[in-house]
Amino acid sequence: MVTKEDIEHVAKLMRIDIDNTDQYLAQIQKILNYFDVLDKANIESEEIQVQEVSINDLRDDKYVPFESKLIDQLKNYKGSYVRAPKMN
Amino acid sequence: MIGLEIHCQLTNLQSKLFCSCKANYRSFEPNTNVCPVCIGLPGSLPRLNQKAVEKATMIAMALNCKTPQKLGFFRKNYFYPDLPKNFQITQLNVYGPSSIGEQGKVAIEEKDIRIRRIQLEEDPGRLIYEGASERTQITLVDYNRAGTPLVEIVTEPDFENPRQVRIFLNVLSDLLENLGVSDPALEGAMRADANVSIEGGPRVEIKNIGSFYDLEKAIHFELTRQQSLKERGMPTSQETRHWDDKRKITISSRTKEEDEDYRYIHEGDVPWIVMDSESLERWKKNMPESISSKKDRYVTKYGIPPQVADVLSSDKYYSDLFEQAHNESNAKEIANIITTDLMGLVDTREKREQSKLSPKHLSDLTELIQSNKITRSSAKNALQEIVRTGKPTSEIISQTSLGKISDESEIAKIIDEIISQEPTAVKQAKENPQTINFLVGKVMQKTKGNADPAITLRLLKEKISSHE
Amino acid sequence: MSLAISAIDYIDNVKNGNITSEEFVAKTLEHISKHDKTLHAFLSINDKALEQARQIDKKIKTKEKVGAFYGMPISVKDNICVKGGKTTCASKILQNFVAPYDATVVSKIKSQDAIIIGKTNLDEFAMGVATEFSAFGPSKNPWNTEYVPGGSSGGSAVSVSALECILSLGSDTGGSIRNPASFCSVVGLKPTYGLISRYGLVSYANSIEQIGPMGRKVEDVALLLNHLAGKDQNDNTTIDNGSQDYLEEIDAGIQGKKIGVITEMSSGEGIDKNVESAFWRASSVFEKLGAKVEEVSLDLVRYTIAAYYVLVSAEAGSNLARYDNIRYGYDFDLEGYEFKSYISKARKIFGPEVTRRMILGGFVPSAGFAGKYLLKALKVKSKLTKQIQEAFKKFDFLISPTVPILPFKFGEKINDPLSMYLADINTVTANFTNVPAISVPFEIHDGLPIGIQIHANILQEKQLLQAAYALQSTTSLPGAPL
Repeated sequence: MVTKEDIEHVAKLMRIDIDNTDQYLAQIQKILNYFDVLDKANIESEEIQVQEVSINDLRDDKYVPFESKLIDQLKNYKGSYVRAPKMN
Repeated sequence: MIGLEIHCQLTNLQSKLFCSCKANYRSFEPNTNVCPVCIGLPGSLPRLNQKAVEKATMIAMALNCKTPQKLGFFRKNYFYPDLPKNFQITQLNVYGPSSIGEQGKVAIEEKDIRIRRIQLEEDPGRLIYEGASERTQITLVDYNRAGTPLVEIVTEPDFENPRQVRIFLNVLSDLLENLGVSDPALEGAMRADANVSIEGGPRVEIKNIGSFYDLEKAIHFELTRQQSLKERGMPTSQETRHWDDKRKITISSRTKEEDEDYRYIHEGDVPWIVMDSESLERWKKNMPESISSKKDRYVTKYGIPPQVADVLSSDKYYSDLFEQAHNESNAKEIANIITTDLMGLVDTREKREQSKLSPKHLSDLTELIQSNKITRSSAKNALQEIVRTGKPTSEIISQTSLGKISDESEIAKIIDEIISQEPTAVKQAKENPQTINFLVGKVMQKTKGNADPAITLRLLKEKISSHE
Repeated sequence: MSLAISAIDYIDNVKNGNITSEEFVAKTLEHISKHDKTLHAFLSINDKALEQARQIDKKIKTKEKVGAFYGMPISVKDNICVKGGKTTCASKILQNFVAPYDATVVSKIKSQDAIIIGKTNLDEFAMGVATEFSAFGPSKNPWNTEYVPGGSSGGSAVSVSALECILSLGSDTGGSIRNPASFCSVVGLKPTYGLISRYGLVSYANSIEQIGPMGRKVEDVALLLNHLAGKDQNDNTTIDNGSQDYLEEIDAGIQGKKIGVITEMSSGEGIDKNVESAFWRASSVFEKLGAKVEEVSLDLVRYTIAAYYVLVSAEAGSNLARYDNIRYGYDFDLEGYEFKSYISKARKIFGPEVTRRMILGGFVPSAGFAGKYLLKALKVKSKLTKQIQEAFKKFDFLISPTVPILPFKFGEKINDPLSMYLADINTVTANFTNVPAISVPFEIHDGLPIGIQIHANILQEKQLLQAAYALQSTTSLPGAPL
């Protein structure tokens, strides 16, 4: 059972302001209930498969500067810094 | 009980952990050592640095850790201005061991400190506060450091006091420098957090400690704080505190770290790396000789006294010099020179960078000493010139006439000069033979320590006794 | 010169001097300005397209070396970075974002003298099945503009179907290329995971998504694939495809091949009767072409929607965390805000579907719930992969209808997310198991397209395209009514 507090807590965790928590509550509830079907899938003993790569395929340790001054093309402050509100 | 969490940058790599920007960001203007990957632009993907895996594995091996069969990376998800993707790519040991090392140990003087795990991860950017005031609402962010390769070393809470912590950190710094993976003297290259608890009490984490010196102070403060709470029958809360550098105390962090749920998931853009035994063997072979091994070798092979061998082996600069300069016959002498006369001349990073001394200078110098052409003390003076100018040893010796003066007439001439300049001292020496050393000293001064002492004394005595 | 020309024919005609790139691009642009006000396939048009076409014509005239595409107009889904232009992902949070680099696939086709005619519309951040969740308005199905074009690569499918370009690059996470291809009666291929570089594709669910080619003809799609596939230094998840030529022997046919009909996708109460009967007609066509057709069961298919949405929510929650409006984004003054409240307010601009996924993405990998949801989803993925590998021991291809339902009207499913998610039931398996799958147009029912889906095993795109080509050769479908 998912509560309104749960939704509010997760919205905070994911840093999104939500106006109509109730609407989302109903939808999320329905979807999470649907996810419960996974309990019937009979997969407890399954091992999770992973993609592998060899050490030799990894990138060489070389310094290659990016072709242009990136900060000029993003939000910037005094040409060089990125500005953010302070964390409390 | 004290445990440490040490973050060490792999400053000797050329590029960052997941992109080709420079690993050592220190000389750049803000936000000029960045690319779409390390600044987290939409559509960018991480590309793992092969040498970072190699170096981190060497650290794991040097700390006697077990290495996994497959290396995995995970995302630690949280929001912070210095985190361009709002997650950090790091390692965990969730579904079995997958971080670069675990269950190792490091010997310090009286005990072993157990290493719980080692992981490879990326450094975040840096936050700068605009204006000195605490009340400014804006933080300026510089992402030059974002993505720099970090090795995080987590110990078991095996430290019993701050002194052991200090020793351990010195051992670790020397070890990392010796491996050639990092330069711990660089600002910010090595950072440590601590967790402190007293018997029966909960663990308190201390973060935001600027230097190793502060670390000792912080641990000491925290132990005292917890002890005094206990004595007053008050409970210590399990929490995170940060070190306030100005007031030299630890303060409870009101950031609710307990609420933080990192929602760990596997890093889907970096497949699991198969640690094949061939690569591991090759890396192990390429590892530089360990400090303790060098020390043993210096003592047993060359008969260098353990104290001297200690200093020599634990400083990479010195041991490199020694390795290149020495041979069977002069090893002891070179070791001696390095750890006594040379030390004061190259004891800082700056001095070392400016020094023009080469291993050949050292071997030339010892040759001259061993063949009695110069005295130890004049060698010491010569060193100063060598470090400053780098000119060939022979040139410096002749230039400053630092050769040992054994020519009797030359010494006699100097003695005559001194005698005429120091009538009072001469008179005193005549009356009280002990005081002749003053005049010997004068001769040494004049000859920059090069006059043969025995000849000087004999001639002085002769001349004084025959003086009116 | 018809805009309905195939890619292969376009290249032949330009080579022979029958048409110039400039003429064709000019006609294309005129056509777009005529139809796109209604169809809204494009979010932005390349204003240098004509100039670029002229440059290529010049090269052709002076007999310089010309790239394989000869100035062909190709559209690119707006979640793929094209340098110097906006890449919005159909989201207001990126409404001003100009990419400072080209995606690998974009560099590749640019270097082969393709002309990127514009960026196409999608569901916001590729999350959706109908392109209804674009923050800039939906795209319309050119077969009937009251109906959705499918999603999330709706704009790409429309641009190809409505003759606004010859080829398109889409992306497919759970069916986002194949679904709109089926709804718009075009060909759409999701390749083997790792065949095409994702560098420059804005991540949504990075462990399963792929960029893929879309076109009106199977052979056109094969041509585009030739220039997209290959290992990329910039993407550690790419694999080696042995430099195959996907066009070569595309007409080899399917004589003697064994084809499996995936039971769970082709019958049952979730499937529209018209789609089902069209599909059985397709099965008998395969038999007439010389293949042996049998049924095969992949029983884990019934869990794939749940597992899929668990997995993609977790990954999306992480992949979209970087959109905090600090380094790039839209105008929103940070004066007076503290960090947490600023970014929470800035991210409020996400649409309702993205917001839903963020919330789900906060739940499913969280400390309390990871074992309940995420772990199970990953295990379903692993087991289904084993099941399909077993099936490929017996069969060369596995088939099903691409979408179990006909295109639906705007607004029909938008308020019922779960019913919308279930539209993906036939397509998610290919993403979950890394295998390639293609949708081929087969029939038009009451003016609405039905597509057939074919799967092949990992790195078997060549064979897959042969089967698709064989099916295509039996149909002769009209173009969209414009």
